[in-house]
Amino acid sequence: MSVLTKQPKVLPTGPMMNQPGRGARKVSRRKRQRSGYLFLLPWFIGMLFTVIPFFASLYLAFTDYNLFNEPTWVGLANFQAMFEDPRLWQSLKVTFIYTFVSVPISLAAALAVALVLNRGIRGLPIYRSVYYLPSLLGGSVAIVMLWRYIFGNDGIVNSFLGLFGIQGPSWVTDPQFSLTTLIVLNVWTFGSPMVIFLAGLRQVPAMYYEAASIDGASKWRQFRNITIPLISPIIFFNLIMQLIGSFQTFTQGYVMSGGTGGPADSTLFYNLYLYQKGFTEFEMGYASAMAWVLLMIIAIFTAINFIASKFWVFYDN
Amino acid sequence: MKKTANTHIPRRIVLGAALTAAGLALSGCGGGASPASAGDVELNFVFWGDANRAKVTEEALRIFEQKNPGIKVKTEYQDSGPYADKLATRFAGGNPPDVLAMANRSLLEYAQRGALADLKKLPELKLDAVPETVLSRGTVDGKLYGLATGVTTIGMVVNKTITDEAGVTIPDDKTWSWDDYAKFANEVTQKTGGKVYGAGYDVATETGPILLARQRGEDFYTKDNKLGVSEETIRDWFQYSVDLRKTGGYPPAGFFEQIGGSPAQSYLAKGTVASQIIPINNFKGYNDAVEGDVVLLRIPGETSAERRGYSADPTMLWSIAAKSKHPKEAAKLVDFLTNDSEGAAHTLTQRGVPINPSVAESITAKLSTDDKAFVDLMAAIQEDDLPPAYVYPKGASLVADTLKQLATEVEFGRISPADAAKTFLEKSNAAINK
Repeated sequence: MSVLTKQPKVLPTGPMMNQPGRGARKVSRRKRQRSGYLFLLPWFIGMLFTVIPFFASLYLAFTDYNLFNEPTWVGLANFQAMFEDPRLWQSLKVTFIYTFVSVPISLAAALAVALVLNRGIRGLPIYRSVYYLPSLLGGSVAIVMLWRYIFGNDGIVNSFLGLFGIQGPSWVTDPQFSLTTLIVLNVWTFGSPMVIFLAGLRQVPAMYYEAASIDGASKWRQFRNITIPLISPIIFFNLIMQLIGSFQTFTQGYVMSGGTGGPADSTLFYNLYLYQKGFTEFEMGYASAMAWVLLMIIAIFTAINFIASKFWVFYDN
Repeated sequence: MKKTANTHIPRRIVLGAALTAAGLALSGCGGGASPASAGDVELNFVFWGDANRAKVTEEALRIFEQKNPGIKVKTEYQDSGPYADKLATRFAGGNPPDVLAMANRSLLEYAQRGALADLKKLPELKLDAVPETVLSRGTVDGKLYGLATGVTTIGMVVNKTITDEAGVTIPDDKTWSWDDYAKFANEVTQKTGGKVYGAGYDVATETGPILLARQRGEDFYTKDNKLGVSEETIRDWFQYSVDLRKTGGYPPAGFFEQIGGSPAQSYLAKGTVASQIIPINNFKGYNDAVEGDVVLLRIPGETSAERRGYSADPTMLWSIAAKSKHPKEAAKLVDFLTNDSEGAAHTLTQRGVPINPSVAESITAKLSTDDKAFVDLMAAIQEDDLPPAYVYPKGASLVADTLKQLATEVEFGRISPADAAKTFLEKSNAAINK
């Protein structure tokens, strides 16, 4: 046991810093703390620019504010109006479908690829970069534009289907398929959870697997009973971050539909609708209220996950 | 074997990350800073359009700067979509441009929120030469919020090279009806073996149904800033494209992936459709972009319907922000853009036929064949007795969005034209003057 706890490998995230065992020398620890705060400094400075809008939006959520004139206090009217707004419900529907379809698939894909890469293939850094690249680019305008072409009427996808005599649909302009196209785009960007999974997998001590194989456990058993429990905190972390990220999807919907959320509101993400309300319909009070409702939704889902995590996430302390 | 020290991310760290990620959404985006200038007055002037429009505009502005020492003009331009978004953000951030191009459908959105200056109150802008009918298109409650940059209307452009090769005769556009157009479109598709669709106009742009409504004696937008179009007209507008699609003249659902781009991106330029409805001040752009000979025609139904649907409409409008720090200089610029022949010699009919008749006259000799075709058609149309047209009401951009959304639903057969028309009226009436 003691051998295990002393392995000082560190994850790409910061928490392992607090692990006892290594920071024996006090000076170096303080120094490290100081440099830690130094690294945080840009974030603190950036924070100053978000704190004010943060509280301003809370105030504006209770006002009627058209951007040009002074806001007037309307109490809960914005929140009441949201209940009767069919486009708001549509945007929730789009966002929920997108989230609950694409997050599990992209996490599974991320884990699967991480498992393959963890087998110690040659050229690992190259593969890692190749798979990570899409997640750097996935939210970018250029990639979404590219996606439009790939899935366009004469795009690669339909040309490929054409080889088999299948007449592909209009992936981008048909309301039935447009969201699917964006889900595929999101799944494709599994790189960042994959890298985190990979780091986690590398921490699982090989001796567990050795012991398990001696006992005659199959690969699948090893995966289920050793890998999954040991990396469950990482799965949990990735799940939460992916959920939050996809609830806030904006760029993909905006670029793919030219800002309309079309065709026929089929890609009207919550944040895209929020943007339309605020900046094209000039109802900034309503948009602010929407932002806070989204925060609540995210908070609720995160809370549910935290509660549920007690039953499946495995910690040692 | 239950202990592992190395693979966990503690709950509170996950929570911290979650809070940060979620909180960022609430802060939105920041605003920009306006540059200060020493001595000279710097005007910020924004418009939408392509690089060519920007180029000729800059040329004109250099003349303005020569004629008005002490005033510098800094321009910005984008495509119309991003332009509309950015404009809204700038007004919202309290940092509006001084002089700006405004779309008909957005004018009152800004004006009735107090964001635009009354141009009549600015004596530097001389309006004596501008016809009353043009002024009325930017006037509400006696205040002039937008002055037309020029006038234009919509027209049908046909790729004559394609129709000639297919052996299809283009009907006489002075008398053709919507039925004639449908017959023509079907024939083109048929005779090209389905390689080219006869019709490729955009169902989702409001200028089409606006014109159709006028032909039928209705005002899409009425004199008192309401919605005046009937459910039947909207239904027929949708039904027409549905029928035309069935008979082959119009492309199948999902065919149009990008509408409203530049002439070079159009389906007419790609050669997959033989005709399209365009704002006719862009005729030259289309003829340049299309391989083959493009002809400019009138919209069908002008003589077969109850009355003329045509009107000379502002291509776009010049407005001055109410919060502009330099209203005098801004007014001088709009005056220059409206009344100065030397400037117009560069911009020509880029933003429609100049509204000052003597300016329009002065540039005639400099026009290319295509621009001359536009100006001539504009003049010919205005020889007829045209019913009056009115300012777009506040909420018109939401009406445009609604039309676009329902047009897609109809395109994919998710809703019948009749139901779409009903929904259109409900939603539009709710959006106007809200």
